[in-house]
Amino acid sequence: MERRRSVRRLGRRYRRPWLKKCKEYIRNFIAFLFSNVGIIGLVIGYTIAGSFIFQYLESGEQIEVHANALGNRTLYARRLWNLTMDLNYNVQLLEKEYRAAVAEELITFQKIFVNLTRKGFDGSDDLCGKKSWSFAGAFLFSLTVITTIGYGNIWPRTPNGKIASIVYAIIGMPLFLLYLSNIGDVMARSFKWIYANLCLCRWCPGVAERRAERQMRRDQQKRDGSEFSNSSGSPSSIENIEMDMTGRRESVTSDANTINTDESDDVQNITVPILVCLMIMVGYICGGATLFYQWERDSGWTFLDASYFCFISLSTIGFGDFVPGDKIYGHGKIEEILELKFVFCSMYLMLGMALIAMCFNLMQEEVIHKIRTTTRTIKYIFRCR
Amino acid sequence: MERTRSISRSRTSSRYNYNVPKGTGRRHKEKLKDCCRKMVAFMCTQVGVGALIIGYTIIGAVAFIHVETSARNTEVSEVVAIRNKTLKMLFNAVMKNNIFDHRQFNFDIDHILKNHQANVIEIFKHGYDERPVEEVWSFPAALMFCLSIITMVGYGNMVPKTKEGKILTMVYALFGIPLYILYFMNMGKILAGSFKWIYRRIYECSTEKDENRTRKKIIVPSTACLWVIFAYILTGAIMLSEWEKWDFLDSAYFCVTSLGKVGFGDLVPGADVNASNHGNQTKLVINFVYILLGLGLVAMCYNLMKEEIKVKLKEMNEDFNQCLEDTKFKFLNCCKRCKRRNDSFYDDEY
Repeated sequence: MERRRSVRRLGRRYRRPWLKKCKEYIRNFIAFLFSNVGIIGLVIGYTIAGSFIFQYLESGEQIEVHANALGNRTLYARRLWNLTMDLNYNVQLLEKEYRAAVAEELITFQKIFVNLTRKGFDGSDDLCGKKSWSFAGAFLFSLTVITTIGYGNIWPRTPNGKIASIVYAIIGMPLFLLYLSNIGDVMARSFKWIYANLCLCRWCPGVAERRAERQMRRDQQKRDGSEFSNSSGSPSSIENIEMDMTGRRESVTSDANTINTDESDDVQNITVPILVCLMIMVGYICGGATLFYQWERDSGWTFLDASYFCFISLSTIGFGDFVPGDKIYGHGKIEEILELKFVFCSMYLMLGMALIAMCFNLMQEEVIHKIRTTTRTIKYIFRCR
Repeated sequence: MERTRSISRSRTSSRYNYNVPKGTGRRHKEKLKDCCRKMVAFMCTQVGVGALIIGYTIIGAVAFIHVETSARNTEVSEVVAIRNKTLKMLFNAVMKNNIFDHRQFNFDIDHILKNHQANVIEIFKHGYDERPVEEVWSFPAALMFCLSIITMVGYGNMVPKTKEGKILTMVYALFGIPLYILYFMNMGKILAGSFKWIYRRIYECSTEKDENRTRKKIIVPSTACLWVIFAYILTGAIMLSEWEKWDFLDSAYFCVTSLGKVGFGDLVPGADVNASNHGNQTKLVINFVYILLGLGLVAMCYNLMKEEIKVKLKEMNEDFNQCLEDTKFKFLNCCKRCKRRNDSFYDDEY
């Protein structure tokens, strides 16, 4: 709709050659918006908007929980006082008795606090609930919603926040899927190009020619060999000859292809082996693991924990038992580091998911290729029999 | 792999039948081959994949229970130690302030309690759950955990704490996720097909008498899919709010976040510590089935909507092109008219 209206408006204003140009321009612009950079911008913008919304909706609730915690503690202090006074009046203070009485109180106290922690209390005493819903925290939260990771280290507590997150997820998830498919496609294509030009050394002078020559020679040898086996009089079936014929035809066409290589056409026909894709994924996870390990060593992550975190995040499972910057709340460290961590984590996630989409793209191609060749060979085998 | 195996199996069956007299033998062979192929295909598509998923989750549940309960859990004893320490400190404080000064006493106690609270929360964040491990990793709960791994929901209300458990989780996910994707695609296709069939039947029933027009391709409108999903979520929400005594909003929120694979894990059925453990188990199993079916439904909607969106896009493109043509035509006409008027104007002037 938007597009149509804008075209119409412009159409009235300008003369005919302009019309065409403008049309082209607008179409290009919209295509651009929907293709690469635009969609990254769209996703980031959507996430930022979401983080503002959630920050706005959720800022009030945190205070209540903290106030509740503080009230509970004073209540228990008073109860302990009463208990002590009671015991003191009755008999002289006995350690055993006192301990047994206080232990019960402490257990209930502890239960209350565990429940409070489940509801989102984080152990700090200040009443301003800004820590978990800081901008970076809200940003990470929005990102985990639309990527469907859903760590659950922070979550909306107000009814408004819950409704907002439902709506936000319904709109955001298709958007992110679009992002994944687009970026995955683009990255797959560019990676293929890089792979072709660097690893297979297409650009090195003379390599292509040499390779074509080698291929030709090999084909020649094969042809000679098959002719020899044919002429030697072994009772070969009709299929064998037919296969030979097709093989020869194929080799001829491949010769033609390799000699008249059209670079751009050729590059997209290469299939990247699965092993390379797997190596990239493993490498990405390991790289992330070392980085998070370096950062979170203070809060007790081992290397296994860090790689576990990376895997769980990138596979969009997202248990949320390990989240960067999660355990700093209790100690009250500097906020800026926390923000930096959140931002880095979200960048890592966005890039990583696109990378995985790319790898799946490439692997799919390779698997399809493999399946096709295997079916062909199976067909040949069965026809022979 | 499966497909190649099926082909080879039909091969072998055909070879067994090779010695049967020729006229009927070939027909028999063909029939048997066909039958075999159909059966394997069926196993591969619908019930087979469902059974595979369920078997995989059961195996996973057993494995996780074994791994997680075999480890010594230190958290409970740690909490007890902390409590004892706090007790000692409290007693010391009481003894020290034996000439009771309420203010001083309150101050001290508050300090000690705060310390205790911080310690407990720290341990809680490391995974203390107030329950012994055997109780946490009951069979239905482990089943739920496995499902949450392979469907990528990841509630995170229970997580592996041992090293072996973590490694096992990764490996389990590595094999489970492709299996789940297979299930998702198959289920989506089948449910979409049956839903389309039902829809077509109803559609034909309702519009049969009006006109007997040629059968064109009937596309299920996306609103129908959305209604189905909506109804499913509604039933789930009502069910959960009835069982778990949650708010209705909370239950709806849980259903949406689970079916959307977000899975925060702030609300998980059967995770309430204070509730009795026995009633929960059947509920958890029903919940398991609910989520598995719901994800299939989502896949169905995805399939149907994809089709519709494709058609809609094509239509929109055509519309857009027509509109463009129209405006062009109008514009040209306008230009011509203007020109003519100008010409006539000039003619008049001259």
